[in-house]
Amino acid sequence: MFYKLNIQRFARVKAQGSTKNNRDSAGRRLGAKLSDGQEATAGSIIYRQRGTKIYPGTNVGMGKDHTLFATIDGVVKYERLGKNKKKVSVYAK
Amino acid sequence: MIKVIKTNNLITIVGHANSNVYGKDIVCASASSIIYTTINAIKRIDKNAIDVIDNDIMKINLLKDDEITNSLINNMIDLLRSLEKDYPKNIKVKEN
Repeated sequence: MFYKLNIQRFARVKAQGSTKNNRDSAGRRLGAKLSDGQEATAGSIIYRQRGTKIYPGTNVGMGKDHTLFATIDGVVKYERLGKNKKKVSVYAK
Repeated sequence: MIKVIKTNNLITIVGHANSNVYGKDIVCASASSIIYTTINAIKRIDKNAIDVIDNDIMKINLLKDDEITNSLINNMIDLLRSLEKDYPKNIKVKEN
């Protein structure tokens, strides 16, 4: 009877911590692109978002990915919308 | 941590060294080499001197109390103790 030498006989089987996860996508750089009081030109992006965290207000349009953009040249204004919502508007100077 | 427990004529070896990942665990490699060298040497000299159970837990039953078997087993224990001195977190030897 001969016992084959297994030099990792008392090692933990398989590499510790080998997971099938460890994947993540790059950040989408969401959030405000123009802040309150800044000047916006027509067509410039004001806010990138998923869903409508902030609603479009006066002179602001919303793309199909809920991006908010100015429709005229003017000054950006973040305002309340109802009790607990926000909207962003652009007012001509 | 590898635990080596010697009680009368039974040696129980259980656990993992955990000094590195599988394939790079040098403490495990040393302990395994010491143990397999000893049990194979004894088996070659007298195959009825010991009985080995090698599952999740390794158990070495000393069936004979002769000088050669005792010398080889004591040598194994001494070597595992010296390993324990260098790697106290990865192996522990106890004699009851």
